Amino acid sequence: MKLAIPKLQSGFIPILAVIVVLALFPVIGVPRVWLLYLFLFYMYLAMANMWNLLAGYSGLICLCPAAFVGLSAYTMTIITWLGLPFYVGIIPGGIVAALFAVLISVPVFRMKGIYFAIGTLVVPEILRVVFLLWRPVGGLMDGGGRGYTIFGAAEVSQWQNYWSGLAVAIVSVFLMRYILRSKLGRGLAAIRDNDLTAASSGINVFNLKLFSFVIAAFVIGIAGAIFYVYQGFIEPVSAFGMQWLITTILATVIGGEGTEEGPIVGTAIVVFMYFLLARYAEISLIIQGIILIIIMLLAPEGIMGFARKTRIYQSLLKLSVKG
Amino acid sequence: MTVFTDLATPAVMGILLGGLYAVIALGLSLIFGVVKEMNIAHGDLVILGAYIGYVALTVFGIDPILSLIVGVPFLFMIGFAIQKLLLNRAFKISMDATLIIAFGLSIILQNLYQLIWSPMSRGLTTSYSLNSFTAGCVSFPIVYLLDFIVAIVVMLLLREFLRRTYLGIAIRAAAQDWRAAHLKGINTGRVFAFTFGIATALAAVSGVFLGLTFPFTPVSGISFLIIALGVVVLGGLGSIAGTFIGGITFGLAQTLGGHFFGVAAQMLVAYTMVLVVLAVIPQGLFNR
Repeated sequence: MKLAIPKLQSGFIPILAVIVVLALFPVIGVPRVWLLYLFLFYMYLAMANMWNLLAGYSGLICLCPAAFVGLSAYTMTIITWLGLPFYVGIIPGGIVAALFAVLISVPVFRMKGIYFAIGTLVVPEILRVVFLLWRPVGGLMDGGGRGYTIFGAAEVSQWQNYWSGLAVAIVSVFLMRYILRSKLGRGLAAIRDNDLTAASSGINVFNLKLFSFVIAAFVIGIAGAIFYVYQGFIEPVSAFGMQWLITTILATVIGGEGTEEGPIVGTAIVVFMYFLLARYAEISLIIQGIILIIIMLLAPEGIMGFARKTRIYQSLLKLSVKG
Repeated sequence: MTVFTDLATPAVMGILLGGLYAVIALGLSLIFGVVKEMNIAHGDLVILGAYIGYVALTVFGIDPILSLIVGVPFLFMIGFAIQKLLLNRAFKISMDATLIIAFGLSIILQNLYQLIWSPMSRGLTTSYSLNSFTAGCVSFPIVYLLDFIVAIVVMLLLREFLRRTYLGIAIRAAAQDWRAAHLKGINTGRVFAFTFGIATALAAVSGVFLGLTFPFTPVSGISFLIIALGVVVLGGLGSIAGTFIGGITFGLAQTLGGHFFGVAAQMLVAYTMVLVVLAVIPQGLFNR
């Protein structure tokens, strides 16, 4: 930890430069396909960062990111159907996802370890059935399995989508940095290592886990709502589908669970793989499953965890601190 | 009186359906109880059993129940290999690793089925699957009765196997304390692989009867996994009778939920019950 803090300060200007270049991408005429895949990268990065906060730092294997994505996106959709513009609905979407996290924490937080994973696995399935049956707005011709069009989403330019995606990704990265260096992050690390010791040294285990769960739900919800502004259309099967979970787990595990840079590296690899295999959806998913298993067996700490142990990385770190 | 006659059919169907759920859950319970890992891919292995029955019926014209002669050893070998080659290694890394590897397997299996058998909904339609059984005011498809009979046969066989054979005793020993079992000279890696193989063989049996009872798609594994999880948690680990009672409870929840709230909501009732069970009695009713 002592090494990492000076690195953050000296590395701030390059990070700012990267952000400015990324923000200028649409203006300088980068191909539209690039912008699309970068947008996906930002969305998945925000989600993978939050999944990493839960699984890597809080010891919560959360199998329900789809619940937060779907609920938040549906909230935003309903708000557009009530006649308000979509951008009014994004923050309430995140808030609904966070409130839902508080609600399900009542049954789910009683369970530990593997039971927590099971409990969260059930949640998106329940929500999917609910939204297949429930038509909150519109007539019988809309909603349910037919889904909703998101009003006003068609007028949003790709540039605006790109920038909002970039903003969420940056916020998620800095939020992770901030959380891990705050009292919350240190408390979470203590809980992950040994929850009994943490509790006996005065850490409120339940509250800290709940905080990280709610923060993750909020950010994943915002990212999900922005994704559906880009999509322009929502229906329950994909909104509460497995794809969200697959991508976030894959990105986090490939990059390295419990490392700060892991999700960035992992998401970049996953999105590049989507780009390569865009035409073969089923084969792409089979390959993703195989990669997940191989990484878990051969390098369970992921690419960044593996790199940290090598000598080159250590010496690079020392160099960057000196310089 | 009419309330009772209305309720009689869903109640009987729920109890019979409980047999099917108990068999699905037995495999999951065996793995969870012995190897202490949560096999998220169990639902998908059950669906593989159903697809083997489907291939036997449509390609070779063999009755799906007869196809179990091939299906059971085949799935046993797959399960044995999964545990031996993948999970025995992951087991040493962490609990999370086994969970994530099982998740990876689930993704692979679901998409393989979509590739091979297309995402269409399939069913095992045999000469007897449309027949129904009528007694007084109760009338239900005959396959529900088959589900129940098979459940009882499977449970008795499994009970005798675990009590009387060397392998069964070794499995029970490894379930209690695998380190102690290891010290006593039991090859625990092998016992775990056999356990997983037996569990997937059970998945083959339950898959065929599931296919006879319900239509299935490549992704319907997850809904049966969730119900099986509820059954395992409600019944408590290591109790075959508990699993049976858990199965019947969830069967009843589904059919009675369908009766009161409409067929579309029947899964909702069962899913919500899983969450309630997990929250209220995570240790189960019949835990040892």
